[in-house]
Amino acid sequence: MNISDLHIRLIPLIIAVVVLTSFLLIGLSHKVRESSEYGLGGRSPGRLGSGAAIASNWMSGASFLGMAGYFYLYGYQAFACVIGWTGGYVLLLILLAGQIRRFGKYTAPDFVGERFDSPAARLISALISITISVIYCAAQFKGIGILFGWLFGLPYSVAVTFGAVAVISYVVFAGSMGVMKTQQLQYTVLIISFILPLMFLAKKLGYFWPLPQFGYGAALSQLSPEFRNSFTLPFASSSLFQWSALCFTLMVGTAGLPHVLSRFYIVPNIRDARWSVVWGLFFIALIYWSAPAYAVFARLIEAKSGSSPDPAAARSMADMVIITAATQGGLPIWLVGILAAGGLSAAFSTVAGLLMTGAASCSHDIYAGFLRPNASEYRKMRVAKGCTLLLALAVYLISMNPPGLIVEITAVAFALAGNTIFPAFLLGIWWGRANRQGIITGMLLGTLVTFAAPLFGRFVPVVAELFPLTSSALCGAPLVILVTILVSLVTPPPPERIRRFLATEVHGHLD
Amino acid sequence: MSDKPWSEVNLLRPKKGYMGGEVLITLVILIGWGGATFGFQLLQKFLETTPQGENFFTRFTFFNLPLNVWFTGQFLPLWFVILCFVFNLYIDRLTARHSRTRYPYEH
Repeated sequence: MNISDLHIRLIPLIIAVVVLTSFLLIGLSHKVRESSEYGLGGRSPGRLGSGAAIASNWMSGASFLGMAGYFYLYGYQAFACVIGWTGGYVLLLILLAGQIRRFGKYTAPDFVGERFDSPAARLISALISITISVIYCAAQFKGIGILFGWLFGLPYSVAVTFGAVAVISYVVFAGSMGVMKTQQLQYTVLIISFILPLMFLAKKLGYFWPLPQFGYGAALSQLSPEFRNSFTLPFASSSLFQWSALCFTLMVGTAGLPHVLSRFYIVPNIRDARWSVVWGLFFIALIYWSAPAYAVFARLIEAKSGSSPDPAAARSMADMVIITAATQGGLPIWLVGILAAGGLSAAFSTVAGLLMTGAASCSHDIYAGFLRPNASEYRKMRVAKGCTLLLALAVYLISMNPPGLIVEITAVAFALAGNTIFPAFLLGIWWGRANRQGIITGMLLGTLVTFAAPLFGRFVPVVAELFPLTSSALCGAPLVILVTILVSLVTPPPPERIRRFLATEVHGHLD
Repeated sequence: MSDKPWSEVNLLRPKKGYMGGEVLITLVILIGWGGATFGFQLLQKFLETTPQGENFFTRFTFFNLPLNVWFTGQFLPLWFVILCFVFNLYIDRLTARHSRTRYPYEH
């Protein structure tokens, strides 16, 4: 490829580079200040700040790019994502957060290994957590590839390679320099970069722009009946089962994602951690109230210009829809640049967090925990660095030919988490009798159930119907819980010290 | 390790005291969570008059949106925030009540 083949969008590119670089530089300056002035623990940012951190940690390419694309294609079905990804935090708060904190183990492998007194269960949960991270990252890479394609005027296959190199460099630099995450700042950038262009778009199209989250409603009546029905009628593009299955899967998956639970342990006390969820959820909802508006405006612009794409073309460009709506809606290029920079920073920070925790899990749980228990710190560090690159390579290979929309790929990661990690946490916390045989069987079954549709769906069609790849946890998680209970009951109970600890410390700390 | 007497932890048979209160509020919030989310979709299915799901709620407009879209897309995320708020308030009071004898404040 010649340099002259590139059609670089210079202003958006500069904005994106400035935003990402400033996160790194501010993160570096925080590192210096935190370590010199406040010691290792640093300051507590308060409930509001911790809430912003929860939201920024949560926001990924799936929320920023994928959700609007899913609305654009499937209308009302996409509300299952909005509800799944917000309702999941309710489950997390009421069923797990306080108890796991009292248990004192903050990652799935640490919790499973300790609670079920089993290195094998710990290894399986580590492998599952790493797989979740890889699948989740693949969705982010797709988003990065799409945005790089737009910024550089490149086809996706080349752009995703560019994007992979950029994001891996970002991760390696941030990791090696120990850059602090500046999540409150990042949330501020994300929310402004998502909502400001939307307000401009609403104003340009003549709708109520101060609150485009409500203003887009008036645009619905001007849409084609086909899309209006898909957006407003609950069963126009999916059945009750499909909607509920996706929604439930995303809810239970939220509790099993490696980077979500650990946020509860950064805040110094559990009371503040609980209250920060209320703010975090509100900040997440601010983005989710806005995503459908992009999809509706995109459809409206298409209808006005008389260029509605056929279904296949619409699906191929759906993940790009917020950018196309902004450009075709006539927004100034610097504003589209801000939107793209927001999407890139959401995807970059998610990839950085997941690849680093995935690599740490490879090194801590698999290498040091299983293969070489006496490994030195230096050796573990080297393994973690090598694993970062290996995991990134795996993610890159998947994202070369992305198997679906960003939301669909992400949903598979949630389904795996909901079918394996969620039942393990739920039973581990709330049923003292759950033992290692039960949990190992449950996690293996959960993995099988997650991939049952592509594995067995062709031979047994009912499997594909009950356990759709993106939404398998509605039937999968209860099945896994039931099997775990049955296997636990016919095998010996876990050691008394664990059951006693659970009864007296996790559930009896104030008795 | 504590020498306190203990009984097996079971969500369906919570012991009295703090855990009992915790399980009670958890179940109440779960009902509010599941009822509003899946109950509302079921209700729409129950009331549908066309295969695409036209129903009582799709006929009315609220805040510029069909009522069912407003409820699912706008109200439910807010409802979840409210549920978390109520849960936290209850747990704070429960903790304060049970902490008086053992701890001066929550730890």
